[in-house]
Amino acid sequence: MDDYDKTCLESALVGVCNIVQQEWGGAIPCQVVLVTDGCLGIGRGSLRHSLATHNQRSESNRFPLPFPFPSKLYIMCMANLEELQSTDSLDCLERLIDLNNGEGQIFTIDGPLCLKNVQSMFGKLIDLAYTPFHAILKCGHLTADVQVFPRPEPFVVDEEIDPIPKVINTDLEIVGFIDIADISSPPVLSRHLVLPIALNKEGDEVGTGITDDNEDENSANQIAGKIPNFCVLLHGSLKVEGMVAIVQLGPEWHGMLYSQADSKKKSNLMMSLFEPGPEPLPWLGKMAQLGPISDAKENPYGEDDNKSPFPLQPKNKRSYAQNVTVWIKPSGLQTDVQKILRNARKLPEKTQTFYKELNRLRKAALAFGFLDLLKGVADMLERECTLLPDTAHPDAAFQLTHAAKQLKLASTGASEYAAYDHNVTPLQTDFSGSSTERL
Amino acid sequence: MKIFSESHKTVFVVDHCPYMAESCRQHVEFDMLVKNRTQGIIPLAPISKSLWTCSVESSMEYCRIMYDIFPFKKLVNFIVSDSGAHVLNSWTQEDQNLQELMAALAAVGPPNPRADPECCSILHGLVAAVETLCKITEYQHEARTLLMENAERVGNRGRIICITNAKSDSHVRMLEDCVQETIHEHNKLAANSDHLMQIQRCELVLIHTYPVGEDSLVSDRPKKELSAVLTSEVHSVRAGRHLATKLNTLVQQHFDLASTTITNIPMKEEQHANTSANYDVELLHHKDAHVDFLKSGDTHLGGSSREGPFKETVTLKWCTPRTNHIELHYCTGAYRISPVDVNSRPSSCLTNFLLNGRSVLLEQPRKSGSKVISHMLSSHGGEIFLHVLSSSRSILEDPPSISEGCGGRVTDYRITDFGEFMRENRLTPFLDPRYKIDGSLEVPLERAKDQLEKHTRYWPMIISQTTIFNMQAVVPLASVIVKESLTEEDVLNCQKTIYNLVDMERKNDPLPISTVGTRGKGPKRDEQYRIMWNELETLVRAHINNSEKHQRVLECLMACRSKPPEEEERKKRGRKREDKEDKSEKAVKDYEQEKSWQDSERLKGILERGKEELAESEIIKDSPDSPEPPNKKPLVEIDETPPVEKSKGPVSLLSLWSNRINTANSRKHQEFAGRLNSVNNRAELYQHLKEENGMETTENGKASRQ
Repeated sequence: MDDYDKTCLESALVGVCNIVQQEWGGAIPCQVVLVTDGCLGIGRGSLRHSLATHNQRSESNRFPLPFPFPSKLYIMCMANLEELQSTDSLDCLERLIDLNNGEGQIFTIDGPLCLKNVQSMFGKLIDLAYTPFHAILKCGHLTADVQVFPRPEPFVVDEEIDPIPKVINTDLEIVGFIDIADISSPPVLSRHLVLPIALNKEGDEVGTGITDDNEDENSANQIAGKIPNFCVLLHGSLKVEGMVAIVQLGPEWHGMLYSQADSKKKSNLMMSLFEPGPEPLPWLGKMAQLGPISDAKENPYGEDDNKSPFPLQPKNKRSYAQNVTVWIKPSGLQTDVQKILRNARKLPEKTQTFYKELNRLRKAALAFGFLDLLKGVADMLERECTLLPDTAHPDAAFQLTHAAKQLKLASTGASEYAAYDHNVTPLQTDFSGSSTERL
Repeated sequence: MKIFSESHKTVFVVDHCPYMAESCRQHVEFDMLVKNRTQGIIPLAPISKSLWTCSVESSMEYCRIMYDIFPFKKLVNFIVSDSGAHVLNSWTQEDQNLQELMAALAAVGPPNPRADPECCSILHGLVAAVETLCKITEYQHEARTLLMENAERVGNRGRIICITNAKSDSHVRMLEDCVQETIHEHNKLAANSDHLMQIQRCELVLIHTYPVGEDSLVSDRPKKELSAVLTSEVHSVRAGRHLATKLNTLVQQHFDLASTTITNIPMKEEQHANTSANYDVELLHHKDAHVDFLKSGDTHLGGSSREGPFKETVTLKWCTPRTNHIELHYCTGAYRISPVDVNSRPSSCLTNFLLNGRSVLLEQPRKSGSKVISHMLSSHGGEIFLHVLSSSRSILEDPPSISEGCGGRVTDYRITDFGEFMRENRLTPFLDPRYKIDGSLEVPLERAKDQLEKHTRYWPMIISQTTIFNMQAVVPLASVIVKESLTEEDVLNCQKTIYNLVDMERKNDPLPISTVGTRGKGPKRDEQYRIMWNELETLVRAHINNSEKHQRVLECLMACRSKPPEEEERKKRGRKREDKEDKSEKAVKDYEQEKSWQDSERLKGILERGKEELAESEIIKDSPDSPEPPNKKPLVEIDETPPVEKSKGPVSLLSLWSNRINTANSRKHQEFAGRLNSVNNRAELYQHLKEENGMETTENGKASRQ
């Protein structure tokens, strides 16, 4: 029997798994609808067989569930509950949902198998999984009814502390605006089209205002197209100004609205969701601490719009921005010693840099308890002193001797000389007045 | 994701006993002789680090990487153990940085080789480590306070990394037993305390280090559960760079890090400024930045890094950035990075380039040879992030353009004005707490919302809905009246604006009320001014409750405007073509009575629609994104379908089908003219009367000549 005319749910799920990942990667939520007659196949490849061998899988033939992307698995059974319960089919299918971390649901037919009942079963799926997300976009008193597509998914921040999934508000409230350069390609959970919709008095959707290309254009959509809509105004201005609108999605949850160009002609209002939390983007700081510029003493964007209060600088610099000392590789240590030596040969011109590098090395050596290095460098500086050419500035010898002596003292580890915060300073000589001036 | 996992608290316990002063027996040449100066000079003898120096610098490197990638919520407590335990810092965030630790280590200094080994023990440090793990961190405290009755959800786990020189396997077991027992004791203490927490899980990582060339007396042992609370693993590592490599591997394991090597970085040669060679730089970051590779299996592993299980690195190719083009990329994650070799020239060149504000796109070499940009390196406020860019297919392919949707056919949006509005409503950080008059804390973001509320109380969206916002003369008033409070000078300016308008009216200056699309002259001058005054009054009235000074502006306006509205209204009554304006005036009056804004918004809609038909502005401001006016099709072709079914959700198959049938049928007969022109299935009768009054229905700003 050919594999293809045999019920083999596992192969089908593997296929789905591959297709989704190839097309959309592992981050896009996907609803998988499995339509089955409730028979699980026979022998090898049957669902019973798949489940029975589930615990004996290696990495290469991993069972496709849970799907490696956010998913919902809907199983549509062309059979009614009683039929399914007469065998273990239902249990097996329920195992599938369990294996998908409980994400999904099984639908069965109420009553006898007929077109009407099948339609009603799919109707239930549509109601559950495909209802559009309607919201009201607000900017003060300017409002618009919108549909957000795709439906924003609930989000769990920390399954231990806060296990209840957060859902976004149906009131999307704009709190202010930020330049695109300042928001700076922020990471987002998901992005969504924001489509203005026309609602009638009962609050039912009349249309999106989108006119179909075919001849049956409908008048409601035409009219909706001609009534000024806040979304269109907002989109136009965001696009022209190169800005985004910050929108509040819920308590401590924000997102941004911006214009997304699909092509030269087509562009759209989009909404991206930030991760929930008080500070989703470190370079903006805490969201609650963002306020109107009119409250600031002077305009933080400058009178000519030539500066910006963003990005916020963190209190502590990262290692790559603060010239840390790492001597794990010998080359790191050698570079630092060479720097001192290079400056030592250019004394007194380089007095200040010489002492800066010297102090950097001294501090690190003290912290690492690497006192032998201090002794070694002191010896080296003394040797340099003896190698000074006759043309050398007299101050050079004084400084080298002084520096060597200070390092020797520090290398004893005695607290009065080896204080971490103490800095070796240039020796005040009769010549040093002129040398410090040159710095 | 869990905030309070084992990696929330890391305790370093480093042995400071006399034995640690021993040399690691790995030499470092530090006196590298420079060419041309080598004659006759013998370089100084190489030196070697002590076991202590190796331990300290390796643990500092562990902390450096951790702080770079997780500057918050991942905390280190550093303990040094000899005749007692020296706790070098606390769990507080201020204590969490390299400088603090380095200063504290310098104060401790290297171990004293002449101290009595009998009084010194690593046990002191291990006991202190357990003790400190019971102490609550500010993050745990905050979370507990926030969760109130669910405070028990806040976990207390931690890790102890102990670097020592053990004597034997049984010595190691003794250390483990000691930790186990101490946890048991301290958990009892913590159970009866409010400011201590019981340890739920503790990972003990014992690192035995010994001089290069010696035999290890301790054997490696993988992670093992010693009890429900304690797991332990033993690493036996030679000192020197081997120890550093081990800790580098551990920091990657402990904090779920992964490595990315950026290749093909063009860099100017030091000696030859006009040539450039290509360099590679290895970066560490959270492994989620590789999530797409891990899942799709399309990993392109370079594998050039060091030994050990973590030698895998993903290679990404540098793409020379274009000019500073500001673009909003679709980014699914951003992770802080730390260079593996922070001070090397290639690393510092790359990091400095990024810190100077440039971004670099990174290309993922694929087996197929196709070019995919998958990541971006960018700095924000002195921190470098690896951004993950979405490179897979979008689910929002070919979306409808905004110009095709609701409001998409309107061409005179006040795009520029709203742009100005957005700039005025930009956000800025307020880091110092501010207080309201009643002493409660003021939330800046709430202030921002308040401002938006004030600024939008009266904000017509399209040019043809407004007169005053098309007039330069109104700007001084319109820009200040929305403020929360006015200065005397503001009031004066408002008054001046009003006097100025009175003056304009007296001189009979034209107003920017549209006459385009109207047959004849359009509304008479005095009516134009009446419309203008009405609108101005609406604007000012919307703000009279802000302050007493706002009230004064209204009083001035009421005193100055041409005629009392009642009289006006009486005069106008009966004039048919003014019908709509009456409504609008009524709207304004209604609004005065009920200050409810939602309602006024609806009434304003009526007012605006009235005007829309009445007038089309002369001054069409630029609205670059407004769509083209719709193509005029012969009337018969337009709309032969019944209005859309009022069903929720997308159109059903049934309605699609019946629409189709209806359309086909309707082609067989001429449609009733009234239905053709109907709005919501309602047709306006006697439209010709309007035309006779010199008016015409306008559609989209263009006169429709029928």
